[in-house]
Amino acid sequence: MQAECVECGAVIEVPEDVMQGEILPCADCGVELEVIALEPLALDLAPLEMEDWGE
Amino acid sequence: MTPDRGLLVDLVRCPSPSGEEGPAVAYLVDWMREHGFAAHVDEAGNAVGVRGPADAPHTLMLLGHIDTVPGVIPVRVADGVLYGRGSVDAKGSLCAFAAAAAGASPSDGWRVIVAGAVEEEAPTSKGAHAIRERYRPDLCIIGEPSGADRITLGYKGHLLLDYTLTRPLAHTSRPEPSVAARGAAFWSAILDWAAAQNAGAGRSFDEVAPHLRAINTDSDGLRETVRLTVGFRLPPRLAPEDVVAAVTPLAEPDATLHAYSTARAYLGEKNNALVRGMLAAIRAGGGRPGFVLKGGTSDMNVVGAAWGCPIVAYGPGDSALDHTPDEHLPLDEYDAAIRTLRHLIAHLPDRGAG
Repeated sequence: MQAECVECGAVIEVPEDVMQGEILPCADCGVELEVIALEPLALDLAPLEMEDWGE
Repeated sequence: MTPDRGLLVDLVRCPSPSGEEGPAVAYLVDWMREHGFAAHVDEAGNAVGVRGPADAPHTLMLLGHIDTVPGVIPVRVADGVLYGRGSVDAKGSLCAFAAAAAGASPSDGWRVIVAGAVEEEAPTSKGAHAIRERYRPDLCIIGEPSGADRITLGYKGHLLLDYTLTRPLAHTSRPEPSVAARGAAFWSAILDWAAAQNAGAGRSFDEVAPHLRAINTDSDGLRETVRLTVGFRLPPRLAPEDVVAAVTPLAEPDATLHAYSTARAYLGEKNNALVRGMLAAIRAGGGRPGFVLKGGTSDMNVVGAAWGCPIVAYGPGDSALDHTPDEHLPLDEYDAAIRTLRHLIAHLPDRGAG
C-alpha cells in the first residue's frame, strides 16, 4: 500500500499488516505519521513529544 | 453526582499520606468488591482488584497510587472542579482506572488488574516494589496526571546526594577557605560538570539537572561542618551510580558522600499495542492525542525495566499542580479519562502485547 506524507507529500510505502495507531516515519522529511484509519487508509502527523514537570 | 465522580470525591475525602493509607485502601477495596472485582489488600498494604478471568492469558495492569504528599486541602466541588489533596496526584488517575475497569468488559483473553499502591510519594516505593515482584503484565498503565488527551512515555531518573565536610576551626583571618566555602565550591563544580554533560542535549529530558536542596553549617566550638543535599534529575543515559562516580572526585578527599533515593530514568516505546490503543481511544473520544516526557519520577521508574512490557502513564489533570496547595481536578476531564480507558479495555489486542 502507499500513502502520502501529510507534511511533504512524499509517497510512503505502508506495510499490508499496518495497524491503526501505528507510527510511520517519512523517509523524505523525517516527520512521524500516525495511522488514524485503515479503511480507507489515512495518516496524520503523529503527536509531538512535549515536556512537563511533575509526576 | 455520578457514581464515578462519587468514588473520586469519597476517596479524596479519605486522607492517605504515605504510611497512613489504610482507611483509603479499605474504602477502595470495598468499592471494587461491590463493582465486580475480586479485590483484596496485599501483603504490602496495596489495594488490588481483578476484573476478568483470574486465569486469563493476558494482563493489563493499571498501577496507580493511593498515597498522597502531606498537607490538608479542604475538599470541595465548585463549578465542576474538585479541590483536595490527592485530587490530581493521583487519586483522579486511580479512580479513573477503577471506574473504567468496572464499567467495561475486558477483551477476550484479558484480565485487568487495578492496583492502588502505597508509599509512591515516599522514597521506599513499597507498594510498587511488591506489585513488581508479584506480577508480569503484558501491558501497563501507570496512574499519574498526563491530561486526558496526553500519554506520558517516560520519566527522568533521580538521585539525592548528601555531602558532609568537617574541619578544625580556624581564625577567620587565615587565608584558607572555610568549610562553607568548600561546600559552595563543591556545588559550583557540580554545576560545571552538569553543564559539560548537557552540551548538545536537544531537550530537557536528555539533560542532567542538579538542584541544591539544602546547605547548612554548624560548629561545636572546635570543628566546623558543612552539609549539602544535592538532588539530580537524570536523563536515560545516566544511571545514579554513574553520577556518584563522576562527582565524587569533585569533593574534598575527606568529605563524605551518601547517595540515596535513586531511580533510573525510563523511556518507553511509542510503537506498540498499548500506545496504539491509547491513541485510538483518545481519538475515539474526540481528542487530539499528545505525548509527554516528565521531569519527575513515578512508579514507572520502579516497574518499567523489570517488566519490559509496553508501558505508559496516563491520567486526568495537570501535573503542574502536583504537591501544591492549589491541587484540583476538573471533573469533566476525569470523565473523559474514564471514557478513554473504557475504550482501551474493550479493544485490547487479540494477541497480547504485540
